[in-house]
Amino acid sequence: MKMRKIAAMGLSAVMAASMVPALPVMADDAAGKVYYLNFKPEQDEAWQNLAAKYTEETGVPVTVVTAASGQYETTLQSEMAKSDAPTLFQVNGPVGLKNWKDYCYDLSGTDIYSQLTSDSYTVKDGDAVDGIAYVIESYGLIVNKTLLEKAGYTVDDIKSFEDLKKVADDIQARKDELGVKGAFTSAGMDGSSDWRFKTHLANLPIYYEYKADGIDDTDAIKGTYLDNYKAVFDLYITDSTCDGADLSAKTADDSRNEFINGDAVFYQNGSWEYGELSKTYSDDELAMIPIYFGVDDENEGLATGTENYWCVNKEASEDDIQATLDFMNWCVTSDEGTKAMGEDMGFTIPFKTAEEPTNVFVKQDQAYTESGLTPVSWNFTTMPSEEWKNGLGTALTSYAAGAGEWDDVVSAFVDGWATEKALSE
Amino acid sequence: MADKKKSIIPTIILTIISIIWIYPIVMILFNSLKIESAITTSGVFQLPTSETWNGIRNFVASVTQMDFLKSFWYSLVISVMSVVLILLCCSMCAWYIVRVNGTLSKVLYYLCVFSMVVPFQMVMFTLAKTADTLRLNSPYTICIVYLGFGAGLAVFMFTGFVKGSPLEIEEAAMIDGCSPLQVFFKILIPILKPTIISTAILELMWVWNDYLLPTLVLDIKKYKTIPMAIQYFRGSYGHVQMGPMMASIMIDIIPIVIVYLVCQKYIIEGVVAGAVKG
Amino acid sequence: MVGKSLKKWWPVFVLPTFAAFIIGFLWPFIWGIYLSFCKFTTVKDVVWVGLANYKKIMIGGDFSHAFWLTVVFAFVSSILINVLAFSIALALTKGFKGTNAFRTVFFMPNLIGGIVLGYIWQTLLNGLLSMWGQPLLKLSATNGFIGMVVLLLWQQIGYMMIIYVAGLNNVSPDLIEAAQIDGATASQILFKIKIPMIMPSVTICTFLTLTNGFKMFDQNLSLTGGDPGKKSQLLALNIYDTFYGRSGPQWKGIGQAKAVVFFVLVVVIALIQLRSTSSKEVQA
Repeated sequence: MKMRKIAAMGLSAVMAASMVPALPVMADDAAGKVYYLNFKPEQDEAWQNLAAKYTEETGVPVTVVTAASGQYETTLQSEMAKSDAPTLFQVNGPVGLKNWKDYCYDLSGTDIYSQLTSDSYTVKDGDAVDGIAYVIESYGLIVNKTLLEKAGYTVDDIKSFEDLKKVADDIQARKDELGVKGAFTSAGMDGSSDWRFKTHLANLPIYYEYKADGIDDTDAIKGTYLDNYKAVFDLYITDSTCDGADLSAKTADDSRNEFINGDAVFYQNGSWEYGELSKTYSDDELAMIPIYFGVDDENEGLATGTENYWCVNKEASEDDIQATLDFMNWCVTSDEGTKAMGEDMGFTIPFKTAEEPTNVFVKQDQAYTESGLTPVSWNFTTMPSEEWKNGLGTALTSYAAGAGEWDDVVSAFVDGWATEKALSE
Repeated sequence: MADKKKSIIPTIILTIISIIWIYPIVMILFNSLKIESAITTSGVFQLPTSETWNGIRNFVASVTQMDFLKSFWYSLVISVMSVVLILLCCSMCAWYIVRVNGTLSKVLYYLCVFSMVVPFQMVMFTLAKTADTLRLNSPYTICIVYLGFGAGLAVFMFTGFVKGSPLEIEEAAMIDGCSPLQVFFKILIPILKPTIISTAILELMWVWNDYLLPTLVLDIKKYKTIPMAIQYFRGSYGHVQMGPMMASIMIDIIPIVIVYLVCQKYIIEGVVAGAVKG
Repeated sequence: MVGKSLKKWWPVFVLPTFAAFIIGFLWPFIWGIYLSFCKFTTVKDVVWVGLANYKKIMIGGDFSHAFWLTVVFAFVSSILINVLAFSIALALTKGFKGTNAFRTVFFMPNLIGGIVLGYIWQTLLNGLLSMWGQPLLKLSATNGFIGMVVLLLWQQIGYMMIIYVAGLNNVSPDLIEAAQIDGATASQILFKIKIPMIMPSVTICTFLTLTNGFKMFDQNLSLTGGDPGKKSQLLALNIYDTFYGRSGPQWKGIGQAKAVVFFVLVVVIALIQLRSTSSKEVQA
């Protein structure tokens, strides 16, 4: 009998033991720690290295987790609900901030805030500085200079929309002779790159309308410059590597590969592509020109702005908040930090101590600005919602395929804007 | 003569269907051996040529870049620990439910049946929070969550089989002075062996492939399972590292196929047995 | 007698499972029902709002779209899977050469997880669509829907086929022989003998395919992700998306309320199924 009891107790103990790790383990967090939920998968490795270096130097543990592409919001939501929530996360602008402002630590008066080159690189809720931009990016038309020269032009020949159209049409007409498939890469209208058209290209009519009306946000967009939007988009789909109807059968990767394989001369995208393109092309072969829109071409520069703002979690412990602020400051002021952000990640950072960029597109943006061109600001942070972008994207796709009318695009743009703005209130 | 002809044509038709059936996997294999720029949307059907051949470089990239071996290890630990725990605890529980007539048994049984139909979305948030509070968020402790959420099906299946096993042997053993534990391990386990293997395989398939539960429950600061890691081959601006991604899909599939070919008999028996009871 | 001596051993036999069951299911389930009546972002800021979440379920129409899409999807895929699986099972029980090899091949996809399946088929189907100049999966709701059906067929036909093969093998050969002697045609044997005899397998397979269709999540997430504009979103993904994809304190509660509705729906289907199963088993 006794043996049996002992055996039973032993077994119970084993089973209970399997539950032991269930008890909360209280770690000693006195020194504070950093948990950064990173948005950009491409820079994951660089961030991990930088975090390790910081830990080595200061002894403060820094954990960097990168959300899978397209899942930042879901990951952030699920992580914020946990006991070890991220101390450092990011929002994409005023619209994104709306959802997280209750969790944002006021960064005014912090070291990192004083390092910013301009106050415009912040998102604010009233007077509180809720987010600080950590990277500035530019987009425009990436040009394969070698192919352009082969066609008998240089980048300097393109100074306006008319020039662009003339050159593109000429290249398209002589595509077999030049050994290309088209002037522009195919669109890639699926989720992987539709933002190039429904967001980035759509920024231009919004930018010029805001500028003409002297505003920076509106509940009712008029669509004053939608004809220009149509002209550029028409150019993309007519002088393309493939038929309009086939555009919806291409992805972002197809589009990029066409450019890398030398099948197209122009490719609308941004400075973030440099890392990938520089594997194939030398700096001399690449250039980025503004997306000439036919409104104010003499003064138009690259579209430069940011969608990446750092926010510090207010709910974290004081020690963790301090550790996070120190880490951020170190990233943008120390030699290692600025070097890693500038070179390894290829970022242009809006801080006083920034390194000279190596990214050829970023250099070009600086050159354009110095020569007196006005950078196009990123107004898509004021677009009403994802719903609006999707509606526009769908209309654009069916227009490109020849199944829809341009009027549907106009309606998605103008009417959709009013509906979605009203809903988000 | 007629008979022979009859049996050749269906065999040919079935062979063709079989080839179509495995084509998706073969296609992934081919593409995992190609260079990145050759894996275009419409180019996936082309076989690798000498120009596009990339050898095992994609596999190397996927293993080194994403800490894929670590993910593989975590997936393995989670699957094995969870399945062992589920089998042991649930078979014991099932035996108790069948042999002891009482309120506890009845309540437990119906709760288990009930839990089988509840969709995971119903508990995803609260389960993740509970697991987080109790620190069940590492690969070594998450098995308790799996035991809890997977208990329903396992208990249900085991009760079905225990009901069918003869009571007389157990009684005889008890008369000989065996404790319930001895009866369970010496008599019931051998009788239940085929069922245990079948259930093990069903549960293993579930845990190994599970995506949402580990994504929400695991401490993602430290641990990723294979289905989670595969997602990381997509970049923020729509760029997908197709080569390494194809390679990692192959790395995920190969062990499954090997296990399947080795244990095929049990797997198929398990499916049939599970269906009869379920 | 076994029962009596076993009874006091419950801490060993039942407690571990029961404790884990409470942690892994019971407590989260009850808490989940409670939270469906609340507004919350994390568990720290829970506010009781009564039925408000349930009233908001239909906002935007995405839930009802997902609901009907799921119903259509579950039935279409269930019918196709069963018909095809049964046909293959019939062929495989005729004793042709290589039956075992075919069975091995057909069953294999079932072992691959939903996320990976989604990526495999996304590559394959987008390749085909691109070749034919058709809109990709994520750009056309119709193509996305067909894609999901094809994927599920590939995954589940093998599984259901195994069950049908087992059922068909249990049909006594004597019965068929007797019918043949009586001059029954092949189709008469099929419809009058084989199909009635394997009704239990049919109900099981219908139940499994229907519930799998209703609960499908992983494949939906990785194949189409609900694109374009949520038009290929099934219920499970819609709930997940409402819960984790949309930020703002109101959405979590609404997502939880949707989950409760989803749960009730699945229970109702299971009950109906159980009824019909037991009534048919009496006949068999």
